[in-house]
Amino acid sequence: MTDAPVNLVTATGLEPADEPASSSRAPRRKPRTRAAKPPKEPKRKITWDRIKAQRVLLLMAVPLLMYQILFKYVPVYGWAIAFQDYKPGRGSIWNQEWVGFENFVDLFTGVNGERFRRVVVNTLGQSILTLVVGTVGAIVLALLLNEVKNLPFKRIMQNITYMPHFLSWVIVASLASVALSLPSSGGFINQGLMNLGLVDEPILFLTEPNHFWGIVAGTSLWKELGWNTILYLAAITAIDPSLYEAAEVDGAGRWRKMWNITLPGIRPTIVVLLIINSGWILSTNFELPYFLGNGLISETAETIDVFVLRYGYQLGNYSLAVVAGIFKTVVAIILVGSANMAAKRLNQETLV
Amino acid sequence: MVAALSAGLVACTSDADPEEGPSTAAVIPEGDLADKSGVLTPSNPTTLTTWITTASQAPAADNKITKLLKDQLGVTLEYEIVTPDNVDQKIGVMLAGGQYPDLIGTTDLKMRLLEGGALLRLDDMLATGDYPNLATHVEDDIKKMSYSGEEVEHGLYIFPNYNRFYGEPTGGTYYGPAFWIQKRVLEDAGWPDLSNMTLERYFELIENYLEKNPQTEGAPTIGFEVLASTGREWGMTNPPALLAGSPNNGGVIVDDSDNAEIYADKDIAKDFYKVLNQKYADGLVDRESFTLTFDQYVAKLATGAVLGMHDQGWDFQTATDSLRSAGKDEYTYVPLMPVYDGAEPWYADRPVMNTNQGFGISTSSKQPEKALKFLDLMLSEPWQKVLSWGVEGEDYQVGEDGMFTRTDEQRANSRDLTWRASNRLEALLDVLPKHNGQFSDGNAYSPDDQPTEFFATLSEYDRKVMDAYGKKTWLEFMNPQPENPKYYPAWNITLSDDANQVNQQLTDANVQNLPKIIAGNPADFDSNWQAYVDTIKKIDVKVYEDAINAGIQERLANW
Repeated sequence: MTDAPVNLVTATGLEPADEPASSSRAPRRKPRTRAAKPPKEPKRKITWDRIKAQRVLLLMAVPLLMYQILFKYVPVYGWAIAFQDYKPGRGSIWNQEWVGFENFVDLFTGVNGERFRRVVVNTLGQSILTLVVGTVGAIVLALLLNEVKNLPFKRIMQNITYMPHFLSWVIVASLASVALSLPSSGGFINQGLMNLGLVDEPILFLTEPNHFWGIVAGTSLWKELGWNTILYLAAITAIDPSLYEAAEVDGAGRWRKMWNITLPGIRPTIVVLLIINSGWILSTNFELPYFLGNGLISETAETIDVFVLRYGYQLGNYSLAVVAGIFKTVVAIILVGSANMAAKRLNQETLV
Repeated sequence: MVAALSAGLVACTSDADPEEGPSTAAVIPEGDLADKSGVLTPSNPTTLTTWITTASQAPAADNKITKLLKDQLGVTLEYEIVTPDNVDQKIGVMLAGGQYPDLIGTTDLKMRLLEGGALLRLDDMLATGDYPNLATHVEDDIKKMSYSGEEVEHGLYIFPNYNRFYGEPTGGTYYGPAFWIQKRVLEDAGWPDLSNMTLERYFELIENYLEKNPQTEGAPTIGFEVLASTGREWGMTNPPALLAGSPNNGGVIVDDSDNAEIYADKDIAKDFYKVLNQKYADGLVDRESFTLTFDQYVAKLATGAVLGMHDQGWDFQTATDSLRSAGKDEYTYVPLMPVYDGAEPWYADRPVMNTNQGFGISTSSKQPEKALKFLDLMLSEPWQKVLSWGVEGEDYQVGEDGMFTRTDEQRANSRDLTWRASNRLEALLDVLPKHNGQFSDGNAYSPDDQPTEFFATLSEYDRKVMDAYGKKTWLEFMNPQPENPKYYPAWNITLSDDANQVNQQLTDANVQNLPKIIAGNPADFDSNWQAYVDTIKKIDVKVYEDAINAGIQERLANW
């Protein structure tokens, strides 16, 4: 059962914290210790012998390490911009005027302070709603698909639901804006609602601030539903069939089996995915608010990234953009850390 | 073999005039279009990377003039075309990377590319005397064209793309701001008198027509469209100043003592939005106005269903073009200029140079001399004629009096979007410095400006409209243009970071509140308006006004 999350982590592009799974290929391996890991292992010493013995493994890790350092750690020097009055024309980043924490104070309390606090709320709201709706939707679809015994039908369903994942957000956003427009402009949602007699007058969805978070969550659900389901379906296939057989012998029906075997079986997957995704909460949701947002609904539509684009890049105020970026990173670390801690407390699978 | 080769080389070198620059093995083609200095020749091919902000389409692969550039100059252009809506991201990315194409054609009003160090200072290069056409181009107006901001050294960085006039300004089409109305509305109303236009009469015309024709080709007819899309929100915010008889100065009205003040929260604005609010409630204003992107807006105009809107003529040019090429002239627009009681309309202004748009050479270009030479050649009369009129004999004829004319087929071609993609370099020409006005032989810079050609291009329907009003050009529908104030226009004054930020906040306040005011219940108008005024009060407007006033004073002193 623990196989699923481990594979998953590799599949999502994050390297597992411990040694690669292919360790069996290492020459003259020491006796297998990993599987028999006691709960609290005393710290093992890294000796030259050990390094020598695992040199191939270490070599294999080098490219990935380089990649991480080059693309994740090196760019961090750019954070210096946050403490400067940065102007690209002055040339080097070290050739700028230093202003200390002025930019931070400006962002949180200055003329834009109120607005920045609002966009943080919008970002959190849209992301959490999207995450919850997306996760619940994907789990439900995975459970349902798992029960389908007609293979061709199952495959067709899976294909249809995951196709939209490959569309770019620009296309998805313009599809959404057409779908939500007036019937005369091709708004089939309004047309449908009117035909069903649910509304008398077409609703201008994109002018109602209260609808926007829902629109974002709904559109993301449509786009990513099938894609997110794949991971859960994979996790379900790893569940030992004998559990189902035993349950059947005990007289469990479909719902019982779903509730007592399938769901607990994919629980580690759900938890790990939630932890990973919690780190993205402040980073997602640029495209839809940017393409669908307009003046009327900007109080609920504008997210951090849109704000940064408007007041940072568009005005050439790069320092402000970097300050917002640092803020996002810090919040992301806190979120992942606390989600991980919460999972540990609840005795769940954790990321680290 | 060797003998043949050396003979060829000798032939080459002796062909080129040794006096004329670096002509090692450079073959210079015959004719006016060739570069006599030998910098750009087909025997020494050049590829120039070009970044252009424009709404025009990229040329087709088989484009005629692309081929001509290659044959005559050996120049191949690699385009990157960015629409004005997407330009902000792109500029940020380019600045971050520090790598730019050779030629930068920008409409960046905030001068970020210049202040970010993307553009080469051109005065010194011009001083070498190698670029005679460009030197003539800037001679009289170099102070106006020069950058006078604070972030970088003052100097000439880009060549403005429009309205540096040669000879007499001529023209038939009006591209400026107006309240536009469809020709069919005027026809239906029996060609009503358009002088002394007011907002009430403008909307009355639309209202009457809409009542009689709720459908246009199966789709619902739209009375009035408001353009509020990001970056073009001036469609919604500029009318009050124009209605009050002030020329287009952007967000401010400049009084007689050259003092600028914002008008967004003043009574002239309130009066306009009150009317608009009422018209919205009456169902005259498109309910989708505020969610439309610019593309959707143009697409809507191109269906012909929209009876009227306030906009600048150039802004919806693509919609006009596609209506005309579909032969639906009754759906195209006539410019009107309603004003408040007692005000004189000042919609049309003397064409002014927009000094922060145009072509510059990038600092990372490996071949700045070639790039500048290319701009210089493009500004020569022969090339300007090719770019705006086309190829002689194919796209126009020269009459015995030396005047250019076209046949009906050639005129029809020039209206056809597909044809133009293969036979015109519209994207390039849009940002290229131009020879606006007249050529030395008396022909107008473009067919559209040639009076005889202009009238001949009109469709039968358009001529009927002209006849009904006894006019010869669309320009005559507008006010006579008074001399521009010396500082004019205030909207292209380069602002400091702080002022830019305040300006952005004002724009945001407009974009957020005005739609609510317009689309709100008329009973709530006063409270909505108050909320808007309160929002503006929170913004440090003075920073912006001071910056504009400083800019005006500087121009008054130096221009």
